[in-house]
Amino acid sequence: MTAVPAAAISADEVRSIVAAVLDPEVPVLTIDDLGILRDVTVDASGHVEVTITPTYSGCPAMEAITADVTQALGDKGFRDVRVRLVLAPAWTTDWMSDAGKQKLLDYGIAPPQPRDDTTVRLTLSLRCPQCGSPDTRELSRFGSTACKALWVCNACREPFDHFKAI
Amino acid sequence: MTELSASSGHLSDSAHADKSVYALRLGDDALIYAQRLAEWIASAPQLEEDVALGNIALDQLGQARSLLRYAGAVEGAGRDEDALAYFRDERDFLNAQIFELARGDFGFTIARMLVVSAYQWELYSRLQASTDETLAAVAAKAVKEVDYHRDHATQWTLRLGDGTDESHARMLAGLDLLWPYVPELFETDELVTTLATDGIAVDPAALEAPTLAYVDAVLTEATLTRPVTEVRHTGGRRGLHTEQMGFLLAEMQHLARSDPGARW
Amino acid sequence: MYGSDFTPPGDTSDDTPRIEATDLDAQFQAIIDSDGKIEPRDAMPEAYRKGLIRQIAQHAHSEIIGMQPEGNWISRAPSLCRKAILMAKVQDEAGHGLYLYAAAETLGADRADLLDLLHSGRQKYSSIFNYPTLTWADMGAIGWLVDGAAIVNQVPLCRCSYGPYARAMVRVCKEESFHQRQGFEILNTLSHGTTAQHAMAQDAVNRWWWPSLMMFGPPDDASPNSAQSMAWGIKRFSNDDLRQRFVDMTVPQAEALGLRLPDPGLRWNEERGHHDFSPIDFTELFEVIKGNGPCNKSRMEHRRGAHEEGAWVREAAAAYADKAAARAAEAPAA
Ligand SMILES: [Fe+2]
Ligand SMILES: [Fe+2]
Ligand SMILES: [Zn+2]
Repeated sequence: MTAVPAAAISADEVRSIVAAVLDPEVPVLTIDDLGILRDVTVDASGHVEVTITPTYSGCPAMEAITADVTQALGDKGFRDVRVRLVLAPAWTTDWMSDAGKQKLLDYGIAPPQPRDDTTVRLTLSLRCPQCGSPDTRELSRFGSTACKALWVCNACREPFDHFKAI
Repeated sequence: MTELSASSGHLSDSAHADKSVYALRLGDDALIYAQRLAEWIASAPQLEEDVALGNIALDQLGQARSLLRYAGAVEGAGRDEDALAYFRDERDFLNAQIFELARGDFGFTIARMLVVSAYQWELYSRLQASTDETLAAVAAKAVKEVDYHRDHATQWTLRLGDGTDESHARMLAGLDLLWPYVPELFETDELVTTLATDGIAVDPAALEAPTLAYVDAVLTEATLTRPVTEVRHTGGRRGLHTEQMGFLLAEMQHLARSDPGARW
Repeated sequence: MYGSDFTPPGDTSDDTPRIEATDLDAQFQAIIDSDGKIEPRDAMPEAYRKGLIRQIAQHAHSEIIGMQPEGNWISRAPSLCRKAILMAKVQDEAGHGLYLYAAAETLGADRADLLDLLHSGRQKYSSIFNYPTLTWADMGAIGWLVDGAAIVNQVPLCRCSYGPYARAMVRVCKEESFHQRQGFEILNTLSHGTTAQHAMAQDAVNRWWWPSLMMFGPPDDASPNSAQSMAWGIKRFSNDDLRQRFVDMTVPQAEALGLRLPDPGLRWNEERGHHDFSPIDFTELFEVIKGNGPCNKSRMEHRRGAHEEGAWVREAAAAYADKAAARAAEAPAA
């Protein structure tokens, strides 16, 4: 593999390599769609520093994401890479991009609604990602992954995951 | 051998050491609690609870990892989260005893979750404002998660308290078993008051009134009452634990210790 | 329309089933043959509905019984990172179970009834979960081989004729892929770790290899239900085809791991373009299915025990819901 001269690569190009890395649990979303990619910097010597933040404290995917980011950059010739994990500011679903929300919907997961800071109890009625009906109900506050709840549509009967707003 | 002695004088380095101990206390609370909660996975009363309790345990474990990592970093002796979790002995664990008590039935589990999540919510919502950046960051993340835990415990306390005669009785029995261990959560000592004065820590004594106010309101709505008892069990912050702790640690640590140099 | 709030008001045109009950069979088969999807409100032949409920239920049962062998090791996981990953994985499986029971309910089944069928032994779960998890390396072998085999089995289901099941499988398969990767990583770490760790990894692969191959079911000539499932677009490939696909996929991965698959007859067959492997001892599979596997009894006892112990909790929740509904009805209209 040819070493890439650092100067020939703009920070934007490096960022786009990292931004394309998929979330391993919901692999229709990139880490950029999710909003967990916080920063990418390249210094003059070609050293890349990537900053990511977990969705939840217990997120089991951070190690895998770190490995995938390192691999994606390595494939393009960047060997001097550090992936930093930061906790602050705490991730919120408001950082998910509109494109990400649309991808979730297409994938059959109801995207997070704009956050209501006052309480977790109040989830407005969701629209079914399958038929669009607002006649839906929560089946389980907790779903297969920490970020999701399980809902069901009363109109078309489809069970569907909802990405909870936090 | 405990690393903490509340009466020891504060030397210039000691604020640093104290901060490590403080992070360790909170980290041990979360770690030991995660270990207990996880015992419900594949054994819960209904599938929704397998998922919910697993989720809550995972949140606690995540918080524990952040706190232990930080405790190790501040200590500066090269101990990472695993060194702290797997290679300390019982007398060096600083969690409050309420977290280590055996899993018990679902009534006890919900009674404990109600008190503990109310306490953690009050704690983390204040610790977000810590002058220590890392503690503030961990707390800001944790408080969002604990909010869900507290809501979950609240919903179940209502169902069990105001459900059937049996569930009502079981909730009362769970609260009775739990209550002697509650005051320890609000105990304060020189270490924590000093850190609190510096704006680093939250004085646990300040959490008692708001925690109990929340718990009482839920209990009342659930037709339950808080037990009255003078009995207090304490000592966890000084590494004194219940007999149940040794078994928990034996199970948690044996594999990691079986091949000490190994990476897993 | 990215946000659920901005979606146009409920498009309920789908409420009218496309299939009238009258000329059911012809229309139904036409949809199947054109690779269309059958949806919950469509009329469907009773045998199709029943067969699907059974298949989805048994899939759900497998997810929840599957929590036990891995749940065993959560308390003992050798690092906090592995503990978190395992906890999340077992929680995923519970979530899959939950999702699949909900999918079965779209066909008019009731989760409580399906659980009764599991508890009374009238419905089965995957035979693989009747084997014990003896060492930490089993967490790796299960993730790599068992989740791997599940993926090979389930990927074709993403195109199955029943809409809710097919759509569920798309997402479930993605999560299973993450599990498989994590299992591979556990084995990879062990295989390249200490001598004792490598031996532990090899031992686990030795024990889980053949049971994994049996996950694809009996050989085609002894698989009576397959033809109907194929005609209905539920099954797409035969047991033996899927098994072959799994073997071909796994062999290079084993090489990458530095672990041996315990079959002296395993070799590349240039002519077939596939790996040959030794005959499978299906008497073992049938024994396990009959209930004589090493863990059949303990898995079922554990499941029934948890269910029975939890009865008072479910009763309390029902009683509370009734009281709350009664209170709401009594309250004067605001
Ligand atoms: Fe699964
Ligand atoms: Fe899985
Ligand atoms: Zn719908």
